[in-house]
Amino acid sequence: MSEKDTTHFGYKEVDKDAKAGMVADVFHSVASRYDLMNDLMSGGIHRIWKRFTIELSGVRKGNSVLDIAGGTGDLAARFADIVGPEGRVVLADINDSMLQVGRDKLLDNGRQANLEFVQADAQYLPFPDDSFDCITIAFGLRNVTDKDTALRSMLRVLKPGGRLLILEFSKPENQLLSKAYDTYSFRVLPMMGRLVANDSDSYQYLAESIRMHPDQDTLKDMMEDAGFSRCEYHNMTGGVVALHKGVKA
Amino acid sequence: MSGGINPTLHTAAVAALETALNRALQLAPGSAAELDKLSDCVFALHCTSPPLDVYLQPSADGIRLMGLYDGPVTTSVRGEAADFTELVTAADPTATLINGQLELQGDSAPLIELQQILATLDMDWEAPLVSTLGDVAGHQVAQMLRGAFAWGKQASGSLARQLDEFIHEEARLTPPRLELEDFYRDVQQLGLRVDRLQSRTDRLRQRLQKLRG
Repeated sequence: MSEKDTTHFGYKEVDKDAKAGMVADVFHSVASRYDLMNDLMSGGIHRIWKRFTIELSGVRKGNSVLDIAGGTGDLAARFADIVGPEGRVVLADINDSMLQVGRDKLLDNGRQANLEFVQADAQYLPFPDDSFDCITIAFGLRNVTDKDTALRSMLRVLKPGGRLLILEFSKPENQLLSKAYDTYSFRVLPMMGRLVANDSDSYQYLAESIRMHPDQDTLKDMMEDAGFSRCEYHNMTGGVVALHKGVKA
Repeated sequence: MSGGINPTLHTAAVAALETALNRALQLAPGSAAELDKLSDCVFALHCTSPPLDVYLQPSADGIRLMGLYDGPVTTSVRGEAADFTELVTAADPTATLINGQLELQGDSAPLIELQQILATLDMDWEAPLVSTLGDVAGHQVAQMLRGAFAWGKQASGSLARQLDEFIHEEARLTPPRLELEDFYRDVQQLGLRVDRLQSRTDRLRQRLQKLRG
């Protein structure tokens, strides 16, 4: 197998064509307890990270927003309130289990009029050019097989002047925090996954995939290479999570 | 957002403030319609000490608080925390904005409207008490609290009035507000007259110099 045809799945080197299926298996397995596990694993701080993402998005009434890897719809729900009836929010996820959980949750909460649900691969977004004022992808990019292709696809569907926001785990700035974070990720997370979701492997993958994800500066360079302008990032919780922002010129 | 503040802490603080504010607004059902009238407005509060920026966007569902906002702002106010506290609690917000230390940009009318909505919230404490304690006990406790609040309000109002009267009229420690405002107006007019006199003497001096030259 040539180097070009492989990619990483956590610490494992796998065939590029196989990664999407393997990631899908992980999310099929965790979908039903995804929100609960997010709250448990982050101590609820993921809500603060997402709130900051919404603030930085600058989304206003009447805007169109695409939330890729939108999962259980935390961001999409808030965006639906902000854009109002004249706006449009598309919740996209490659995984049908996650999309179904998200769709059920949003519909049960009475959100419907300005929301659309699309099963889509971030690398090949099924939308016309210049469609969205804002695109968000929260904790999803590290699972994408070819991140460069995905970034170019996002750039294509963004309107000129539109913003891309990538919320993703990153590299802690402090050595001490980094060690504590490693211990937490590789010892506590899989144990939590086994106890709550009866699935330690998926949470082992989570920890490994975070370590394999590009660090803050590398991701910023990737965004610039894809064609985004005014790229910047904000570290949160000591760099455990970073929010990258880029604008389509 | 203020540059030096950690985004996680800043966002968490703003989120907590928003939750508390909206919980209070839920107890005042009349506020929703009033806030909805301001739903197209965004207010920027830039606190210089401690350094903190907060943006407020009212709607029928409450007030959305943000640490960051990129769009157009209706009214922007800059000042220290103490100045903002003075504005929030002021009986006459217009006078506070004009005479206080706050620096204002944009339209002041919606800001004054928002201040008055918040300052005159008519809280219905009975609803949460009834849902927790039941109809009878909840109503009794609410009646007691209402009585206690009404007495407290009356007592503090009466004390403030008497104190005000004592300071201004009996002890003559400070002049009454109207007298003070008249004095400020006189000082302002005197300042204008001095400016005019100054420019007139400057003009005369220039003419004199020309005649000599």
